Amino acid sequence: MNNPYLPIPVTIKKITIENEARDIKTFDLVFNVKKETEKFKYTCGQFAEISMLGIGEAPIGIASSPMDEDLVQFTVKKYTTGVVTSALHNLCPGDMIGIRGPYGNGFPMKDFEGSNLVIVGGGFALTTLRSLTRYILHKKNRAYFKDITVLYGARSPGELIYKSELKQWDQRDDINVHLTVDRGDKNWKGRVGLVPNVLSEIAPRSENSIVLVCGPLIMVKYTMLPLMDLGFKPEKIFFSLEMRMKCGIGKCGRCNIGPKYVCKDGPVFTYKELQGLPQEY
Amino acid sequence: MENKKFKIIKKKEILKLLESLKKEYSIFVPIEDNGDARFSEFKSGQDIFWDYRNTKISPKEILFPQAETLFCFGPGAEVKAEGSTPGGKDYLIFGIRPCDAQAISLLDKVFGGEDFEDPYYLERRKKTTVISLACSKPQIDCFCTSLKGKPENEEGADIILFDLGEDVLAGAVTKKGEKFIEKQNKWFKDAGQSDVDKKDKLMDLSLNKIKSQIDIQNIKEKLDNAFNDLLWNEIHQKCLGCGICTYFCPTCHCFDITDEINPKAADSKTPEGKRVRCWDSCMYPLFTLHASGHNPRPTYKERMRQRIMHKFNYCPENFKEIFCVGCGRCIRNCPVNLDLREVLVSLMSLGSLCKDKKI
Ligand SMILES: Cc1cc2nc3c(=O)[nH]c(=O)nc-3n(C[C@H](O)[C@H](O)[C@H](O)COP(=O)(O)OP(=O)(O)OC[C@H]3O[C@@H](n4cnc5c(N)ncnc54)[C@H](O)[C@@H]3O)c2cc1C
Ligand code: SF4
Ligand code: SF4
Ligand code: FES
Repeated sequence: MNNPYLPIPVTIKKITIENEARDIKTFDLVFNVKKETEKFKYTCGQFAEISMLGIGEAPIGIASSPMDEDLVQFTVKKYTTGVVTSALHNLCPGDMIGIRGPYGNGFPMKDFEGSNLVIVGGGFALTTLRSLTRYILHKKNRAYFKDITVLYGARSPGELIYKSELKQWDQRDDINVHLTVDRGDKNWKGRVGLVPNVLSEIAPRSENSIVLVCGPLIMVKYTMLPLMDLGFKPEKIFFSLEMRMKCGIGKCGRCNIGPKYVCKDGPVFTYKELQGLPQEY
Repeated sequence: MENKKFKIIKKKEILKLLESLKKEYSIFVPIEDNGDARFSEFKSGQDIFWDYRNTKISPKEILFPQAETLFCFGPGAEVKAEGSTPGGKDYLIFGIRPCDAQAISLLDKVFGGEDFEDPYYLERRKKTTVISLACSKPQIDCFCTSLKGKPENEEGADIILFDLGEDVLAGAVTKKGEKFIEKQNKWFKDAGQSDVDKKDKLMDLSLNKIKSQIDIQNIKEKLDNAFNDLLWNEIHQKCLGCGICTYFCPTCHCFDITDEINPKAADSKTPEGKRVRCWDSCMYPLFTLHASGHNPRPTYKERMRQRIMHKFNYCPENFKEIFCVGCGRCIRNCPVNLDLREVLVSLMSLGSLCKDKKI
C-alpha cells in the first residue's frame, strides 16, 4: 500500500525574499530523485505538506505553475510563533526538506476555458493565484481564456510580493493588471485604496466571467459586496479557504467546515458552495 | 441470525484454545485491572474477565493506538513497515462488546476510503480477527438500541460469542469467522436447540436491561438546519473542555501529527527522531488554531457543536452512518455529568414548538 504520510526529499535551489518586512520568502524546490518530479503532477490551487524532519509539517499552496518544469515553488509567510514557518525561514539554498502531495481539489481550469478571468488577491495569499496566472499566460494556454484582469493589493508597496513578475505581466497587452496599496509611500505612484473599493472602481464585467478571490478573510468577505453589485453569480466566484491541517488527506478530522474537509473537498470552493456551509472558518 | 449454525465450546476450553493460538496471534482479551476492565495482551495462565461490563478505554486503541510512530528519521533510523504488528503476528481481538465491534466497522470507513488509504490502520486491520462477546451487562448509561445496536449486534465482528455459563455459544458472522471456526473445529461441538434457546432468553433479558431509550431516528435531518440554533449557547455550559469524552469514545478518530527528537542527538546537524501521530480532540482550542492567531472555533460552544455535529450530522452525510454506537462512555466518564442523551433529546425537540403552533 502506498504510504501518503511519507515526505519525498527535495532540495532548496533558491530562496527569494519577497517583501520589505522580510517575512515572506519563495522557495524553489527540486526533487532529489528525478522520477518524483513526474509523479508530482499538480493543478493550480492545490497545496502540499512541507515537511521538516524533527520540526513538523505545514500545508502550503503551490505557487509555481503546472507548466513550470523541474521545479516546484512555495511562498511562505513566517509567523514568529510558527514552528515550521520559522524553521523554514532559517534554511539556505542546498538544504534538504520534504514535501508530500499534491493535495486538494485545485481550480477547475478546464471549466474556466472560454471565460474572462478576474483574479483578485490580497497580501501573501496571491500564491496559488500566481500559479493560475502563470498557467493561463503560458503560450500554450493563453488562447483558451478570454480577458484576464488581475487586481492585487497589499498593506504597503513594500508588502506586494512577486514584484518583478507583476511588472512583466503589466507590460503584456493580453492582461490588465491593477495594483493597489492601503497606504502609499513617497515612491508609490499607483493606486491607494482597499481591494473591495478598487474592484468597484474598475468594475470588471460579470458577463461570461469567472472571479477568483484569495486574501485575508476580512478582505474576501468585503469583496463579496461589490461582486454581487457587479452581477457575478455565486457559482462563478471561487475562493481558496484555509483551516488548520495535519494529515492533508481527510483522515485527521480537523479541517472541516460542516461536512466538507478543506484538505480533500477544498481548498477551492465556490461562493455558492460556501453559502451552503456553516460560517465556521 | 435465524439460520446461523452455532457451535458450542466449554468456557474452560477457551483458555486452552487461546493458549494454542498464541504462536500465531497477538491476542487481546478483557482482564480485570484495579476494579476496572481493560484489554490486554493474553498471557499464559491469565484469566479472562467474562463478566465485565465494558472497558473504560475503548479497544479502538488496539487498531488505532493512542500514539503511533509513523516513521523514524536520522542516522541509524529504524525502518518499520506501516501497521506492523509485534513479531508480524496476526491480531485476535477476543471478547469485545458488540458496540465496540460496530465502532471498528465505522473506523474502517474513515481510514479506508476511495481517495486515500491509511496504511497503518488498514494493514493492522487486515490482519485482525474480531471475536465479540454478546452483551449481557448493559449499564444505566448504555443506549445502543436507540441507535443501530443491540446486545447481539454482529456488525464489525467476525465471530460472536454468547456466555451461557459453563458453555460459550459461537456463531460465525463473516467468511473469516467461518474459516477460523473450521480451522479450530476440534474445540467446538455443534450446538443444540436448547443452547440456542438459552441464548435467546439471555438476549431478551439483556435487552430488557437497557432502560435508556431515546428517539433519535431522524437526528441527522434535525441537525441539517440546526447549526445556528440558540440551543448551542446552552448545551456546552457545564463543559470543562477536558476532552475525556472524545478519548474514551470508540468512534472518535481525530489525530495530531508531531515530531519527537531524540534528546541525545539534539545538537547533531542531522535530526534524529520520529514522526508520531496521537489521539487529538476537537474539544481543545488548539485543535483549529491558525498560526496567525485566528481560531474558527474559539469557544466551548463551537467545539461542543463540532463534536455533536460531526457524529450526528457530518458523518451521516459523508459515510451514511451515525458515528455513535451508544456505548455510554462519554456519559459515564464526563467529570461534570454532561449527558449526551439529554443533549440529543433537546436537539430532537428543535422546531417542534414551531410546527405545533404552525408559525
Ligand atoms: C490550503 C492551505 C494553503 C496555504 N498556503 C499557504 C501559503 O501559500 N503560504 C503561507 O505562508 N501559508 C499558507 N498556508 C498557511 C500555513 O499552512 C500556516 O501558516 C502554517 O501551517 C503555519 O505553520 P507553523 O508551524 O509555522 O505554525 P504553528 O502555529 O506552529 O502551527 C503548528 C501546525 O498547525 C498547523 N497550522 C497552523 N496554522 C495553520 C493554518 N493557518 N493553516 C493550516 N494549518 C495550520 C500546521 O500543521 C502547523 O505545522 C496555507 C494553509 C492552507 C490550509
Ligand atoms: S468529558 Fe464532559 S467536560 Fe470533558 S470535554 Fe467532554 S463534555 Fe466537556
Ligand atoms: S459518543 Fe459517547 S456514547 Fe456515542 S460511541 Fe462515543 S463514547 Fe459511546
Ligand atoms: S487535514 Fe486532516 S482531515 Fe483535513
